Amino acid sequence: MQRFLSLACSLACLSAPLLAMGAPTAVVNTPQVQAELVAHAPEGLAAGKPVWLGLKLVHQPHWHTYWKNPGDSGLPTTLQWTMPAGVAAGDIQWPTPSRLPIGPLMNFGYEGTLLLPAPLTVPAGFKGDTLDVKLRADWLVCKDVCIPEGGDFALQLPAQQATAGHAALFDAARAARPLPVPGAQASAAVEGQQLVVTVSGLPTAWQGRDLGFIPETGGVIQNAAKPQTTWQGGTWMARVPLDLQRSESPKVLPAVLTSAGQAAGLRIEAAVTTAWPAAAPAPAAVPALGNAQVTAPVANIGLVVSWLLALAGGLLLNLMPCVFPVLSLKLLGFTTHADDRRGRLLGGLAYTAGVVLSFVALAAALLALRAGGEQLGWGFQLQQPAVVAVLAALFTLIGLNLAGVFEFGSVLPSSLAAARARHPVVDSALTGVLAVAVASPCTAPFMGAALGAAMTLPTVEALSVFAALGLGMALPYLLASAWPAVARLLPRPGAWMAHFKTVMAFPMFATVVWLVWVLGMQVGVDGVAALLGLLVTLAFGAWALGSPALGPKARAGFGGAAALLLAAALVWALPALRQDAAAQPAAGEAATHDWQAWSPERVAQAQAAGRPVFVDFTAAWCVTCQFNKRTTLATADVKQAFADKKVLLLRADWTRRDAAISAELSRLGRSGVPVYALYTPGAAGPQLLSEILSVAEVRGALNALP
Amino acid sequence: MKSLLIATLLGALTSLAGATATVGQPAPAFTVKDTSGKPVSLADFKGRTVVLEWVNPGCPYVQKHYSSANMQGTQRDAATKGAVWLSVNSTAQDHGDYKPPAAMAQWMQQQKAAATATLMDSDGKAGRAYGARTTPHLYIVDGSGTLVYAGAIDNKPSANPADVAGATNHVKVALAELQAGKAISQPTTRPYGCSVKYSAM
Repeated sequence: MQRFLSLACSLACLSAPLLAMGAPTAVVNTPQVQAELVAHAPEGLAAGKPVWLGLKLVHQPHWHTYWKNPGDSGLPTTLQWTMPAGVAAGDIQWPTPSRLPIGPLMNFGYEGTLLLPAPLTVPAGFKGDTLDVKLRADWLVCKDVCIPEGGDFALQLPAQQATAGHAALFDAARAARPLPVPGAQASAAVEGQQLVVTVSGLPTAWQGRDLGFIPETGGVIQNAAKPQTTWQGGTWMARVPLDLQRSESPKVLPAVLTSAGQAAGLRIEAAVTTAWPAAAPAPAAVPALGNAQVTAPVANIGLVVSWLLALAGGLLLNLMPCVFPVLSLKLLGFTTHADDRRGRLLGGLAYTAGVVLSFVALAAALLALRAGGEQLGWGFQLQQPAVVAVLAALFTLIGLNLAGVFEFGSVLPSSLAAARARHPVVDSALTGVLAVAVASPCTAPFMGAALGAAMTLPTVEALSVFAALGLGMALPYLLASAWPAVARLLPRPGAWMAHFKTVMAFPMFATVVWLVWVLGMQVGVDGVAALLGLLVTLAFGAWALGSPALGPKARAGFGGAAALLLAAALVWALPALRQDAAAQPAAGEAATHDWQAWSPERVAQAQAAGRPVFVDFTAAWCVTCQFNKRTTLATADVKQAFADKKVLLLRADWTRRDAAISAELSRLGRSGVPVYALYTPGAAGPQLLSEILSVAEVRGALNALP
Repeated sequence: MKSLLIATLLGALTSLAGATATVGQPAPAFTVKDTSGKPVSLADFKGRTVVLEWVNPGCPYVQKHYSSANMQGTQRDAATKGAVWLSVNSTAQDHGDYKPPAAMAQWMQQQKAAATATLMDSDGKAGRAYGARTTPHLYIVDGSGTLVYAGAIDNKPSANPADVAGATNHVKVALAELQAGKAISQPTTRPYGCSVKYSAM
């Protein structure tokens, strides 16, 4: 009795919510879809006869539901059947899906009218006049918003009569099913960040066509990327970019091949012939630098090798166009001590000390800032308009001094002037500092690899690499100053030295022109006007205070005026020289007719499309970069070679601070510019070309492209 | 001059790296304003575990995990383990689901969320850098700045709050493994939910 009561209760309790909702019917309507449970049993219900059930979804325009692999978001529609014992529904026979792009993402699903059919197995000896079928269906319907919907459906099928009211719908769904291809051979192999899918034995009508690739397993490939596909004879090959956050590692990858104009795709099962790589190992923590988020693991070269590379790189730096602005300073240094062997040697040592210490100081600042989370690289000092402006002012003053417009003795307090006269080595050391400030932003051969490696070393070791670099740069001058034979090559001191000094003013002014151009790239034409205005008042001030031709009274008058003018110019100019004045996107030299601005997406897209990419990592302040850009990269030969191979030309302009470019450089194991990277489709990483780019090298690399 | 230089450098904002995040690799740096307008950078939390949660209050899957208090529970679990939790909303301003910062802050407060900060990534830069596809989509960055987890909150991809009870919470598991110094057993899973409503490029 008690058992009976509880049974009765449970029946009543179960049916109560059902009744409250109203009995399930064959149709559920929502504002987004009309859903209906339909059946197809043209020969009635009997074992071995075709019996199909299906959920018909009619989407409102632009709304869609999802395939078994929904792609980057969404969920597949699910069907849960309730049948009498012995009757079973099979899996959904999914029609070929459409690609549904949404922003940067890709979904696979259906719009318009859809039927999701499922076969029904009726047992032998099925008795009964009718078959009661219940279905719980859940679907996610999306347009620009997503709505999870579902419904309870019920349908009664007559056993002895044909049910064929939706025959056309079921026929269409059958016609849209991906067809298995008997005799097709499909395999997939992992190559770097790509899955290479090879399929042969496809029907003749499909040969040579442009095919799409939609895997049934999600979480393996980048759904939105277009694979690079080729036909070789009867074999279709696709290079499909792998999902960087791949979650699945299937042994067999079933997939649907699609072709424009074909309602039904082809179903293949690609056996994966290679092992799936494990997620990239975490790089060793770099506590001393604390910049693990910037440095990807780079070629792990030892400390001694880094020293040697840095030394060689420093030596070669003297051959780079970078050093043009400071060559004249060095020449001058030799002539002033032409007759004094000890002074020359001291000067050489002081210059070396200046160079080495400046390198170490710059490196220490760089490492400290990177440890603070800044995305910076070598040459960062010239990414600051303020630094460029100060250097321009300094070179203007040096130039005016050399030209004889003013003398330091008249400007500096007498005690300081006297100290300078007594310590000419200070001059040499400061020359070294100046050389580093201007010439160091460029990298030379060997130097790129050494600096890239240094960024991953503990602080002290990293600084030692930079010291080796400075030593390499100063070495030729140190040796020359210690070598008596060099002094003998110089003419006797005389009147020529005064002329030489004046002539040397002009390379200084040329350097100012370059610095003003760099600043123009950074902050625009207003900044250039501000800087030039500042330089004019500075020149006036230098003349007023330092010209030997002026008497004390004139000096006081002009000097006062100059001080006022300079103060006014500073107030007027400073706002225009700030980095944020550069908010306008005028991407200096990034985009020109042949060249487009670099972005990682552009590289990835071109790679996916099978197009080679050449990236010029450059900066206005990098003279070597500008030299290569105007010589090698501008020759008709090289342009033609790029055009022949349909190379996508991208320019990454690092003139201003750019974290994305800094990050990419460190990924390439580099820390400065120039870097020339050639990406071959299908290759794991780019090929890096030499910092001193020759026409032959570019053409050789391009000829090696497939 | 050196101090001027350093001040200038530190004053400027670090912008985004454009690459898509990869588990086992350094996590992309970002600076995004929170709902109060304060810039928040990943680098601010150097040395600490950071959980990133992509959120959109208009998405039913997000609602599932907030109405069931599952997301808040995961946030509190992360907090007890010393982790930072950043909820990131990459919904474009012209999308119907967009909530202005104040409304977003209010929604989080109503949900009794325990996020360290809610970031308004309306231009989608951080979302694209991480390859965030769905709401919710979760990431864990360890103390060394390495991305160690990317994927779903749990293993029951549905919009039904009742499914939370029987699901394995991938984020709680990963945080516990991280705390115990163990390798994360499932570093990538398939995220599920609505698509992130990105702005047009």
